[in-house]
Amino acid sequence: MTELMIEAEHVRKVFGDVVALDDVSLRVPKGTVMGLLGHNGAGKTTLVNVLTTVLPAESGRASVAGNDLTTAPDKVRSSIGVTGQFASVDELLTGRQNLILVARLLGASPGQARERASDLLELFDLADAADRKASTYSGGMKRRLDLATSLLGHPEVVFLDEPTTGLDPTSRVSLWEIVERLVDDGTTVLLTTQYMEEADRLADSITVLSNGSVVAAGTAAELKADVGQRTVAVTLTGESDPAAALESLRRKGLRPMNEKPQRALTIPVGAASDVAVVVRALDDVDAEVSELNVHEPTLDDVYLALTRTKTAA
Amino acid sequence: MTTTTERPTRTDAPADAWGGTSMVTQITVLTGRSLRALRDPRMLIMSILQPLIMLTLFSQVFRSVAESPNFPKDLDYIDYLMPAILVTTGSQAAMWAGVGLANDLKNGALARFRTLPINMMSVLAARSLFDMVRNGLQLSILLIAATLLFGFGPAGGVLGVLAALALALVIGWGLAWVFLALAAWVRNLEVMQMIGMVAMFPLMFASSAFVTTDSLPGWLRVIAEINPLTYAIDASRGLALGDPSWSPVFGALITSGVIAAVGAVFAFRGVRKP
Ligand SMILES: Nc1ncnc2c1ncn2[C@@H]1O[C@H](COP(=O)(O)OP(=O)(O)O)[C@@H](O)[C@H]1O
Ligand SMILES: [Mg+2]
Repeated sequence: MTELMIEAEHVRKVFGDVVALDDVSLRVPKGTVMGLLGHNGAGKTTLVNVLTTVLPAESGRASVAGNDLTTAPDKVRSSIGVTGQFASVDELLTGRQNLILVARLLGASPGQARERASDLLELFDLADAADRKASTYSGGMKRRLDLATSLLGHPEVVFLDEPTTGLDPTSRVSLWEIVERLVDDGTTVLLTTQYMEEADRLADSITVLSNGSVVAAGTAAELKADVGQRTVAVTLTGESDPAAALESLRRKGLRPMNEKPQRALTIPVGAASDVAVVVRALDDVDAEVSELNVHEPTLDDVYLALTRTKTAA
Repeated sequence: MTTTTERPTRTDAPADAWGGTSMVTQITVLTGRSLRALRDPRMLIMSILQPLIMLTLFSQVFRSVAESPNFPKDLDYIDYLMPAILVTTGSQAAMWAGVGLANDLKNGALARFRTLPINMMSVLAARSLFDMVRNGLQLSILLIAATLLFGFGPAGGVLGVLAALALALVIGWGLAWVFLALAAWVRNLEVMQMIGMVAMFPLMFASSAFVTTDSLPGWLRVIAEINPLTYAIDASRGLALGDPSWSPVFGALITSGVIAAVGAVFAFRGVRKP
């Protein structure tokens, strides 16, 4: 079995009447990305705070990089890097000074701190702005500085709380590339996001949080298979008979979404091979197709379906 | 990062190369960080302006106090006033430690520190130390101004004045912890500054700072006589005038220590909350 870098069991956290985390468990193997997906108030930041020793949990247990959160919080803090939801850079200092300060606090000598700061400024494309006050940085630059600061101590586990919220598309993509390179190096990443696209692209496995509870967990593909529906959308040519086509599809055991015959038909299918059944059914009645598209379920569908059932329950 | 193929981690030292650091180093590094702010002299000038104006006004306005029958004979009013200004200015400056911490809480610097393998007490201690350095600078400038412009030259001589300065710094340091605790829990600059003003101004006037307590009207005298600031000011005055009475001096030192300890407990608990 691969080494688990984050392991949480039955974690619970309440703020007064609000149950921010309710019996949350998750496991993240070494060198993988866990995507924590949830809307505002789902409990993502609270979970990150608990796992980074910032907040104590009410009950449950968790360990990060093999160290228990409650018995060895200092060891946990030595092995993690955290980029919070809100920028945590000292705006009165320059980018370089920010990095040197944190490196020194991590135990680097002044020389080591300067060297590591220069390396990271280069890597994060901040070399030109290195000696300007951070208050003059753009949102994307502050994010990069924040992330660079989190990586100073070569952390084994990196926590990123909504790292791309509020970033322009270019900055977002460059941040994704950084995360991908981190993971290539064997770093374990827990990333929270409200964007399905982001989880889909970066995460090896996804945990969906809603109102403090885990409502789904698995790989992106598993979630889609569980909840989402694959559909085939066909558009018939003007010469074809939609009524005959609909009839033929039903005879094959398919259940088109259209009640009445129309030129545009939508047919839910199970396995990918069922697409062939659709084609044969149409062929049987000589219906000619001008357009055919297979729609894979997106994480959005998964998320919507999950949160809908949760609210209804 | 567009063209680079290097890796953002593990470019040099292995993961466990930096094994954290001692509290002494933490405090030194963090105090050094704050000291950078002093390179910009505007803040220091601003914080000296108010006591300088007070010194100018009060040394003129209250000059007649020196002629009143309750006032010690052969004592220049400026020699009476200045030790009090040291204490009141030093106490007011304690608020700046809280302002600094509240800023750190707001801009996220504290959020970063919470996830680092450091003791949060180091962060607070560094704030209080920096505030003491800043306070020392400010009070020294005031002393020089008082000596050159207003003829301040008490009987205690340089040693007496330095002792009064040290006492004012300790008192300011003790109070700084109250403001650190306030900042950690209130986390609102305006509210904190309000509390600072509302608490300090009445305490300052209902005390022996500007006039002897016997010359105050009845009810005000009662307040002045139980006001801890009166004891601190009397202690400072005794040192500067070369006639120290040791019980207020020790009283002020011990009280400052107790206030610092209580403030530290609350500040530590408050500052760890995200
Ligand atoms: N310090 C706090 N005090 C009270 N309630 C809080 C606190 N922090 C978070 N909450 C509540 O806990 C829930 C989860 O919040 P959070 O973890 O910030 O969600 P997310 O990061 O997913 O948006 C929300 O209902 C929020 O209002
Ligand atoms: Mg959040």
